[in-house]
Amino acid sequence: MTVELMILAIALVAGLYMAWTIGANDVANAMGTSVGSGALTLVMAIVLAGVFEFSGAVLVGAEVTSTISKGIVETELFDPSGPLGADGPTLLALGMLSALLGSALWLHLATYLGLPVSTTHSIVGAVLGVGLVSFGLDGVQWGGMVQIVASWFVSPFLGGVLAFLTFGAIRRLILRNPDPVEATRRYSPYIVGTTVSIMTLSFIYKVLQNRFEAPPVVMSIFAALTAGVAAGVIAGALLRATRPGSRDPYQYVERIFALLQIATACYVAFAHGANDVANAVGPVAAVVDLYRAGFDVVSSEVTVPFWVLVLGGGGIVIGLATLGYKVIATIGNEITEITPTRGFAAEFGAATTVLLASSLGLPISTTHTLVGGVIGVGFAQGLAALNLAMIRNIVNSWLATVPVSAGVAALLYTLARVIVL
Amino acid sequence: MRSIFGLFAKSPFGPLVQHAERVHDTVVLIRPMFDAFVAGDWERTEEMYRRIEVLEHEADVIKNDIRDHLPKSLFLPVDRGDLLTFLKEQDRIADRAEDLGVLLTMRRTPTPESIKADVLGLVDAVVTASEKWYQVARELPTLLEASFTGPEVDRILGLVNEVALAERETDDRQALVTKRLFEHEEEIGAVSVMMWFNIVRVLGSMANAAENTADLLRLMLAKR
Repeated sequence: MTVELMILAIALVAGLYMAWTIGANDVANAMGTSVGSGALTLVMAIVLAGVFEFSGAVLVGAEVTSTISKGIVETELFDPSGPLGADGPTLLALGMLSALLGSALWLHLATYLGLPVSTTHSIVGAVLGVGLVSFGLDGVQWGGMVQIVASWFVSPFLGGVLAFLTFGAIRRLILRNPDPVEATRRYSPYIVGTTVSIMTLSFIYKVLQNRFEAPPVVMSIFAALTAGVAAGVIAGALLRATRPGSRDPYQYVERIFALLQIATACYVAFAHGANDVANAVGPVAAVVDLYRAGFDVVSSEVTVPFWVLVLGGGGIVIGLATLGYKVIATIGNEITEITPTRGFAAEFGAATTVLLASSLGLPISTTHTLVGGVIGVGFAQGLAALNLAMIRNIVNSWLATVPVSAGVAALLYTLARVIVL
Repeated sequence: MRSIFGLFAKSPFGPLVQHAERVHDTVVLIRPMFDAFVAGDWERTEEMYRRIEVLEHEADVIKNDIRDHLPKSLFLPVDRGDLLTFLKEQDRIADRAEDLGVLLTMRRTPTPESIKADVLGLVDAVVTASEKWYQVARELPTLLEASFTGPEVDRILGLVNEVALAERETDDRQALVTKRLFEHEEEIGAVSVMMWFNIVRVLGSMANAAENTADLLRLMLAKR
């Protein structure tokens, strides 16, 4: 076995391990609110999560992937024509490998310590560490880095604002209405329509654009609107067949929103797969690209092979199946304080933000965006009690993650350099 | 386990209803205790008092647990201070029930025929006011479901008004019993008059506590 093949093999295993971590932990965060509110049973949550995480990863994952392998470090510097000479491409491959292992190790430790750490922040930190070891401060694309870090602050905030507005609208239109049952019947077709329109639009923009030629903007918007109206009309027809049943009108409202929340849960899983698969697959894609080029040249444009995305998506599903389902069950039992109207608002805000960010190619944390969504609902007077001390906890783990995973990756990279070269 | 859902703190609203249930359990025993007392059945009076005492203690435990789990870092849909005052006033209802038990068991005070009917009428009015309060307290989870808005708020404000009306009824009856008491002061005897005067006063303050509790909910709703 050649050194090159060994590097590739280890990179694939490390990438699979990263994807497994994401499936084991992050998916639970994405699905927790749905199971907690009772909108989804555990089995349904796992099946839907598996299907939509995988499709999101495979269909949309490519966009963010290139940012992780290219947007943080000046990969061109690793070219044989660069300062490192002929060893450059091998060093880049070792760097990506170290980044994967470093961040996976840190995630493992964080899981053990019970810290709410983001897989996204971890991999970005690890790649940063590798860049710093290779070229010092000059090797890092600071502009891109600033953009990424800024998006970490903007995304929970945006997720929060969208969730706040969504729950505010539900509150105003339905809960404040003298007849909440009638209001649910009247307004939820519009809510369904809006959700479907946004999902369609992002689907057209992400999936079709990646695979085929992008349709004109007007046509995309028209298609999204058509899909939304159709979904709204169908929802309206179905709603007329439902009965309020119990005396408590809010039970009916929640029952209908439980159905709506299934849609947003799929939306979150899809967005999560699209966004977070890159954490595992980005560095792998870079190594695969180098291997194909015979470790002779660093391409300026890394194309992510389809099978690498499948590997990432598969890893997430395996993580979900082996450990993730347990985490979802635990979380679902822990958070009984959320109801479908609240869960819907939080998930809608979060998923929209995540899809927006992944279409801009920004690697943000799905988990933290969902935290923003939950807080947004809380500020709209939707939740019984929010533990704001948890925010400090999350911010602390942010501050720790980037330096620590950078450090671990840098250490591994230095070791690997000594061993291989 | 790495989870962000530590974000969801334990809701104080469920335990608040539990507390209300325990307090209501003491309220339910008031009438049987007075029946026994009026009939001169001291043993049964004592038994009722003991049961109230146990329930009051259980309510206290829940109360302290709620307080322990309401740090300042919690974000609640209602004012934290209002919620704590609500809890305090609600607990006062059980405290008054216990006070009544103490008064009824500390001395074998006979019940003169002349005030018997009016006393039991007052007891019933106090229990009615407390029952109305209980209806309000039980609505807390629904209020949360409704996000403190809409028709649910109107319905609860209606109930709060009913508590106020019931409390006014107890005021009238309290005045009536006191008046009766002094009309028959020679026949009843000074010490017994003193005892009865106190009993009537505590009955009144029990209804007051029920009204204050309900009023605090009105305050919480008015702030939004």
